Amino acid sequence: MKSLHLQSARKYSGAYSGMLAWWIQRATGLLLLGYLFLHVTTIHELSRGSAAFDAALLRFRSPFFKLLEIALLGTVILHALNGVRITLVDLGIGHSRERRLFWALAFGVGGALFLAGAIPIVLFAILKI
Amino acid sequence: MLNETKYRFRVARADRDGGARRTDQFEVALASRMTVLDALCAIQRRTDASLSFRCSCRVGMCGTCAMEINGAPRLACQTRVETLGTETVAVAPLRNLPVLKDLIVSLEPFFSAWKRIRPALHPVAPDSQQLAVVRPDSDFGRQARGKRDCLTCGACFSACGIRGMNGQYLGPAAINRALLRLLDPRDGAVEERLAALDDERGGVWRCHTQFNCVAACPKGIALTDSIGLLKRALLRPRRFYEKLAPPERAQV
Repeated sequence: MKSLHLQSARKYSGAYSGMLAWWIQRATGLLLLGYLFLHVTTIHELSRGSAAFDAALLRFRSPFFKLLEIALLGTVILHALNGVRITLVDLGIGHSRERRLFWALAFGVGGALFLAGAIPIVLFAILKI
Repeated sequence: MLNETKYRFRVARADRDGGARRTDQFEVALASRMTVLDALCAIQRRTDASLSFRCSCRVGMCGTCAMEINGAPRLACQTRVETLGTETVAVAPLRNLPVLKDLIVSLEPFFSAWKRIRPALHPVAPDSQQLAVVRPDSDFGRQARGKRDCLTCGACFSACGIRGMNGQYLGPAAINRALLRLLDPRDGAVEERLAALDDERGGVWRCHTQFNCVAACPKGIALTDSIGLLKRALLRPRRFYEKLAPPERAQV
């Protein structure tokens, strides 16, 4: 038999996946806000001349930032596809198949897009094949 | 001799008006097919007579025994313990409602939201002697199918994350009821209901389509669908006023 904690956690993978999608949208939204801040501060370096901008860009060439780039890709995909799901639901499309829509978008379309973006980053930017 | 399984019940307890909250544990031996309500009755009868909970019909018709079982709002009489798949079963009162004692909550916030949408029928023609007939294959008959079985148990209200954050939100059950009345060709209180539904703080626009209400509803009502339908209808509310015109009213 499953433990109570395990069942409580698994609740959101079943009937309550809409709530999971809601949390994902909030969390990824905050992460993207952090990324936007980093992006604006980096672009701001341009006002200090090309040497300062190049130095700022150099930070993002490390393998650590390449891993963060992969995480950013996942965050953008989750946020965007969940946005598509919410739009469809608001238009009255897929209400009865809402759970399937969530998992299909998150792991089907989202997974495929993520792998298509992450594999080249790993191969060419981190492993430098 | 019945083949019984032992379960541990962790029951949330509270004194009068929700004071002195604690969790008590009880060991209960249950036969296959026994429900959470059977277990609570067994605890009350054999171990602790002071355990308080509500129940009435025991067949999922009245909605009185709604409570949180293993973290999800369910009807205790319709939840077979063995289907939960856990040896320990956590039972707590419904969320978003004030606790009166143990598992009993006050449904006052639920019914106060319910009243705001004017749930009763307000006839278009109160003095009409003609008997209104709503055919199942009529527009209203088709649209209302699957949406009129609400027990007013409060499970959706308790599961709703938005209601948890916003005390003015009407909640899924009241909105679903308002939709049924708005679709009903016999009903004329369109203006008042639309005003409540369109309210910025408490109306349909607060719904974030979390679908918790759909997951919690023991009757399987597509409550988020009702809310979505009203959101779209509120952009063009004319369809609700059309039924007030005499030629339309005749087409019941």
